[in-house]
Amino acid sequence: MKVYAESPELMIPISFESTEVIETGKWGFQKPYTTSMIAPCEEACPAGIPIATFIYLAGEGKFREALETILKENPFPGVCGRVCFHPCESVCNRNQYDEAVSVNPLERYVFDTTMDLSPKLNPAPNTDPKEIAIVGAGPAGLSCAYFLALLGHKVTLFEARKEPGGVLRWGIPEFRLPKQVLKKEIQRILGLGIELKTGVRVGKDLSIEALSQFDAVFLSPGASRGILLGIEDENLIKIWRGIDFLNRINSGEQVRPGKVVVVIGGGNTAMDVARSARRLGSSVTVAYRRTKKEMPAISDEIEEADQEGVRFEFLIQPVKIKLLKNRKIRIKFQRMRLRKSSQEKRPRPIPIKGSFVMMEADRLITAVGEGVDLSWIPQALIEKEFLKPMSSLWNGKTKVFAGGDAIEQHRSVVTAISSGKRAAISIDLSFTEMNPEEVFSNIRVGSKGALSMEAYLRGRQTGIWEEPKGVVFYDQINTLFFAPSERVKKRRIDPGKSLRGFSEVHSGLLPEEAEHSALRCFSCGTCNYCYNCYFFCPEGAVTLDPVNQIRTVDFQHCKGCGTCAKACPRNVVEMRREE
Amino acid sequence: MREFITGNEAVAYAVKLCRTPLIAAYPITPQTGIYEKLSEWEASGEIKGIMMRTESEHSAMASCISASLTGVRTFTATSSQGLALMHEMLHFAAGCRVPVVMANVNRLLAAPWGFWADQLDSLSQRDTGWIQFYCENGQEALDTVIQSYRIAEQVYLPAMVCLEAFFVSHFMEPIDIPEQEEVDLFLPPFDLPHKFDIERPGFFVPVVPSELYRKYKHMAQASMDSVKEVSLRVDQEFKKMFGRGYGIIEPIMLEDAEVVIVTAGSITSTARITIKRLREGGKKVGLLKIRLFRPFPVEAIQETLKGKRKIAVIDRNISLGGGGIFCQELRAGMVHSSDHPLIYSYIAGVGGTDVTPEVIEKIVFDATRRNEPSDPPIWVME
Amino acid sequence: MVLPEDQPNLLRPGHSACAGCGLAIGMKLVLQAMGRKTIAVIVPSCEGAIGGVYPNTSYGVPTFHSAFEIAAPTAAGIANALKILGKDEIQVVAFAGDGGTFDIGLQSLSGVAKNNDDILYVCLDNEAYMNTGIQVSSATPSFAWTGTTPRGNPGRKKNIMEIMAAHYNPYSATATIGFPQDLQHKIVKAKGIRGTKFIHMLVPCPTGWRTPPDLSPELSILAVETNIFPLYEVEGGRRYIINHEPRALPVQEYLLRQGRFKHLTQEQIQQIQMEVDEEWEKLKNRARKSSGKR
Repeated sequence: MKVYAESPELMIPISFESTEVIETGKWGFQKPYTTSMIAPCEEACPAGIPIATFIYLAGEGKFREALETILKENPFPGVCGRVCFHPCESVCNRNQYDEAVSVNPLERYVFDTTMDLSPKLNPAPNTDPKEIAIVGAGPAGLSCAYFLALLGHKVTLFEARKEPGGVLRWGIPEFRLPKQVLKKEIQRILGLGIELKTGVRVGKDLSIEALSQFDAVFLSPGASRGILLGIEDENLIKIWRGIDFLNRINSGEQVRPGKVVVVIGGGNTAMDVARSARRLGSSVTVAYRRTKKEMPAISDEIEEADQEGVRFEFLIQPVKIKLLKNRKIRIKFQRMRLRKSSQEKRPRPIPIKGSFVMMEADRLITAVGEGVDLSWIPQALIEKEFLKPMSSLWNGKTKVFAGGDAIEQHRSVVTAISSGKRAAISIDLSFTEMNPEEVFSNIRVGSKGALSMEAYLRGRQTGIWEEPKGVVFYDQINTLFFAPSERVKKRRIDPGKSLRGFSEVHSGLLPEEAEHSALRCFSCGTCNYCYNCYFFCPEGAVTLDPVNQIRTVDFQHCKGCGTCAKACPRNVVEMRREE
Repeated sequence: MREFITGNEAVAYAVKLCRTPLIAAYPITPQTGIYEKLSEWEASGEIKGIMMRTESEHSAMASCISASLTGVRTFTATSSQGLALMHEMLHFAAGCRVPVVMANVNRLLAAPWGFWADQLDSLSQRDTGWIQFYCENGQEALDTVIQSYRIAEQVYLPAMVCLEAFFVSHFMEPIDIPEQEEVDLFLPPFDLPHKFDIERPGFFVPVVPSELYRKYKHMAQASMDSVKEVSLRVDQEFKKMFGRGYGIIEPIMLEDAEVVIVTAGSITSTARITIKRLREGGKKVGLLKIRLFRPFPVEAIQETLKGKRKIAVIDRNISLGGGGIFCQELRAGMVHSSDHPLIYSYIAGVGGTDVTPEVIEKIVFDATRRNEPSDPPIWVME
Repeated sequence: MVLPEDQPNLLRPGHSACAGCGLAIGMKLVLQAMGRKTIAVIVPSCEGAIGGVYPNTSYGVPTFHSAFEIAAPTAAGIANALKILGKDEIQVVAFAGDGGTFDIGLQSLSGVAKNNDDILYVCLDNEAYMNTGIQVSSATPSFAWTGTTPRGNPGRKKNIMEIMAAHYNPYSATATIGFPQDLQHKIVKAKGIRGTKFIHMLVPCPTGWRTPPDLSPELSILAVETNIFPLYEVEGGRRYIINHEPRALPVQEYLLRQGRFKHLTQEQIQQIQMEVDEEWEKLKNRARKSSGKR
């Protein structure tokens, strides 16, 4: 007869021992594992910002931590939060459920709320810092400088103009990107100990050969030469290049474009030009040779321009400009039609023979693209009209890298930042024995080219390179756990009022809107401590530690039912068979 | 204090004197007198506690058991159908070793319907593990309730005090009601070693393996056995304090009896007079009253009936196919007796029929003339 | 939300519930919200099996395994005894299954509600007698397969909330595991009310509903979103408050994911949809009409 331990004075059986000694974990044949993945927004962001993480922190009210999270991968949250074309929102999984998460407004909110805080940037210790020169203090150059400084190197940044910023300072208008914001961001970057030399034009004030004293050089001169239309009479005073127009306004000059302005082009520069001209009192027509659908400008900007009274004329291309006796100009436009081509991404505009349109204006401003001034650079580094991103220089010792608008890539602020980061990592790698290709494939964020600086720093320090994570798609999200909700609509100054000056048009999220927006994020692939797995485990085998970001499962008692994996709305838990 | 009250009211007085704070009950004729009296005192504040007016007797017993396990003294009362409905919970109470005290007014069980005295309702529950007392009159009922609390709270088994419908429950007599201070001295405060404890959370009465179940039943049997001795001692103490004692059995004029009548409950009162009269007529007849039925006081009965050759047990009940239940128990208890007495089973009073002195005389004469063993029950109709 | 820092889990692992058991999730959430100063009453049902075999128990509070049909009066007895002892800050919770509430336990629950004894009664509804195999109860929905209704249940599920509302008890609520914050919020609210509180909790059962073991929380969410099991509270039997605006998904979303409804014909699904819509309208009307009352 078995003997059970109990107190002799008890008259009825009472169980006091816990069932925890019974290992019900042996019942099951599979167990849950925490598998973080990449959200599609994180893959689409050229800078590879850990978006799910920063939104989670913002949702918790931890704005400094949210800022520091963004700063690990992107030194310009305030800028991007205002002018980025937000590819993240286009691929946001929530698009397929109701509306995309407001990633871009949240990035701006995080910057705006932490303006008075000094975030911790933690440059890595470096026993053998190299000296690196960077030419051009635009977004690419400043980003490269930032990341090199985080890697512990000594950076000297040469800028031809009297102030840094490049297109951010001299191109984008104040009403889209206030100079205050830019100043704050540049201050933060330079605060890492980067030496900035303004008013130094390499090729004029400093020969390019003089750069050979550095261990490496990063060339990011940008694209600042407005492209000509290629039609006769183009050098009239009445015709301005858009990039120069914007430059003059951003230099504080009082510019008077005239009463009637025609803008040629369909990109962001054209929109900036048109909207600036409106503010200077002009009535503006934008002429584009394709239709609205094919315009490369950010769709928000097109809408803004439209609301501000900019008129659009599509499928016309200028063919002749004549100066009239009354000091106006008459522009002759050829009507175009679109022909779809299977080889090209965008349909081709084809002239309609004999069909023309005439317009009269006080000014014609062209914004049909910007070219790169490569006259000061050795031929060996140029391929077609673009810089080759990696090579070594004339003396065989100084390594040369290039990035930003000057190399052949999509032209946007965030892509420039991304190329600055890639160059900084490449430069750092070039001084080690590590295989760059291998390293890049380990630190990639998804497969669209973004890289993780955090992963690089970790691997560089510990020697441990983690497998890059896969991307979570919409069908892997358990949308049952989300109630449908609307995105916050962007608030802006009344278009009539906004035209009176160059004040910032959008006012950013209110605190409750920011909270609402943050809570809409599915947090694809990143645990945001929703506690579903904890609540829904019948065994109580899941423990969460949001402070130290640890999730533990008690395998001695987990029966492998799979509920936590199914109930994780963001695909962070995966069931794996045990042997 | 002497009051002219019914048996039911006497029971209610006992409950009040024992300061029982939790009473759960459901009305059924002829128990309602107890229930209503207690309600009256609860309303006036004379009883400090909570009266649970449950929707059935089954729930009343459930509440008593769990309240007892929480650590308070409890009481319920019922009869016939109500007791039958409680059956499941009677087993449960004994298994939980809770000292619940219940007054059962013995009433016949349907079908067919009636409200009259019959002992079958409580005797049907003899296997449930409850201590059972059968009371002759209202005074004894009052005193037995007080004694039962003392006994039950010592051995940790529930106790049932039985009184017959109308003959005892509604019969008015002058009854001596003890003083509160005396009862307080006699009855220690309630305590239960196995009550719920927040500081040491346990799972009470879980599923157990067979051997463990057997072990707990074995332990309970030992406790039940000890009741014979405990109740005798308690009764002696009660006599010392209050001047009244009953014993667990009571022999009356047994010394040279040739025929012994065995009774329980109110029939005993009638039998006392009948036996006295017969003795005066020269008949050598005696009477044995059985008060404690569970545990059946085998040793005491064997001792008392030594040398007696003819025993006539009068049962106010019939177990169909088995006979009178007191007789069955007595025959089982006497099976090893070297006297090999003839034990006859008489069924009288079933369904509340009147057991008059004439009926008892008839039984005595019938038993006297018989000389052969006779197993089947002998029904005595008036 | 009651987090582990505020209150540990009082349903300890190592219990013998089926993998993925919705009832275990439900009990765990309730006990966590109740806290340590609780005495629980368990009856023979799946929760009795979960409790464990001597000498081990998974319950972290004193628990009493009473008989099947008397969860409510057992708990009431404890509550009244605690009141007598002056310890009525200790809560009493009675757990019973749907069989022990809708069928055999209905009478005793009614008696306790009539007396308004101070207990919290939680009905863990997995819509059949699951502990004894899978047998039909009066909580089994129409047309469902069970072991004793192999061609589908000809009966219709009783509306236990309306039965309780007819007792005018101070607080009743529906809850389900898929909405853990709502569930725990209601438990905490009930703790602060004196009298008989009733929680009707839907707990999906993978074994009895013929579903894979990982689907229980989702099924309970779908039950709410299809209006089959709306989340609402009733105060004093008169004031109805709807807690969650459902997405009004079609009933198939919920039904056809379960093996016990796999055999449903179109007509049956339509009938279920019609009944669900009708009940939902009635509930909305009650909520609307009673919104001014206290």
